[in-house]
Amino acid sequence: MIYLRLFFSFIKIGFSSFGGLSLVPVINQEMMTNGWMTSQEVQDIIAIAEMTPGSLGINCATFAGMRVAGLAGGAAATLGVMMPSLTLCLIAAIFVEKFRKSRTMEDILHSVRPICLGMIAATALTLMQTNFLPSGIFCWQALVIAVIAGVVLMKFKANIPIVVLLSAGLGLLLVR
Amino acid sequence: MQHKATRPSRPVEVLHRAWLLFFFFFRIGFFTFGGGWSIIAQMTREFVEKRKWLTNEELMDMVSVAQSLPGIMIINCSVQFGYALGGVFCAFAAALGIALPSFIVLVVVTFCYNELSQNIYVARALVGVRAAVVPIIVSATLRLRKAALVDKLSWALAIFALCICLFTNLSRIVVIIIGGIAGLLILNIMAKKKDKEEEA
Repeated sequence: MIYLRLFFSFIKIGFSSFGGLSLVPVINQEMMTNGWMTSQEVQDIIAIAEMTPGSLGINCATFAGMRVAGLAGGAAATLGVMMPSLTLCLIAAIFVEKFRKSRTMEDILHSVRPICLGMIAATALTLMQTNFLPSGIFCWQALVIAVIAGVVLMKFKANIPIVVLLSAGLGLLLVR
Repeated sequence: MQHKATRPSRPVEVLHRAWLLFFFFFRIGFFTFGGGWSIIAQMTREFVEKRKWLTNEELMDMVSVAQSLPGIMIINCSVQFGYALGGVFCAFAAALGIALPSFIVLVVVTFCYNELSQNIYVARALVGVRAAVVPIIVSATLRLRKAALVDKLSWALAIFALCICLFTNLSRIVVIIIGGIAGLLILNIMAKKKDKEEEA
């Protein structure tokens, strides 16, 4: 049963993914050993995930599942990749709420919060590099769009969907 | 810290809240470029600032837990968030809400991948969208700053994490675990020191 195999395969992928591109090697391996995709097709997934909204994991699962077994395959793979969140993370949520008031938990959260913030800032910096200096060449259009988007977002408190659409429009106008 | 929004108990209320969460995540799911961090910015706006259902600290804790566990970060976030605001049923509703837009978009894109990937206008629009992701994430960082950076220790930990992520390939979970243990130890030592001073 191909759907079940996809589902379990992506459960495995989900549990071995820790943010960002870390799941690419696992996907690569799973797809190859099952003979579902070629290495070129796995490269395609990453390109697609980059240009579509949503997380890499869900996008990869949907694309791979659909390529292998159509719409139902996509659904099976997507559900599979979501399983760690729906089990482990849910249990963690219940646990955190129970022990939130304990001294140790407070101390841990107190030190983990700034670490998380540092990580978010690191993501922003990395993205700055990839977007403003794609392959080492300065892309002034991207910088201009980012500044405009930042002003619209923070000064005029525009909603994020509006900012995204505006930036897409600016990209169409400015980029050659 | 108490949750600002009490968890609904009547089935009708639970259903209503589940629908609200599902729809919120479904709506923003179409606009989360850049790996999902912009969702955090969106959540602070809607639920911390507008509805005041939870505090920045609580949101930050959910992000922390979501990052320390395997699985997809934004799904982890939405599950935590849904659970905090409405229990298990709402957790599932939120996760489904955030996953569905990706799924729908990908179904469409898979059918016309070749046309889209070669299209020059799509490529240009995407340069714009990717550029916008940077200020969106920066704004999320600024909003959460007050909740996370409360003393010298937290500044040190934040800078430590920033440098590790920029200059090494260490997995994020390792960074969180090391930092969490270090913070716990330092806080313990500081508390003991304080006790001794008070005794003396």
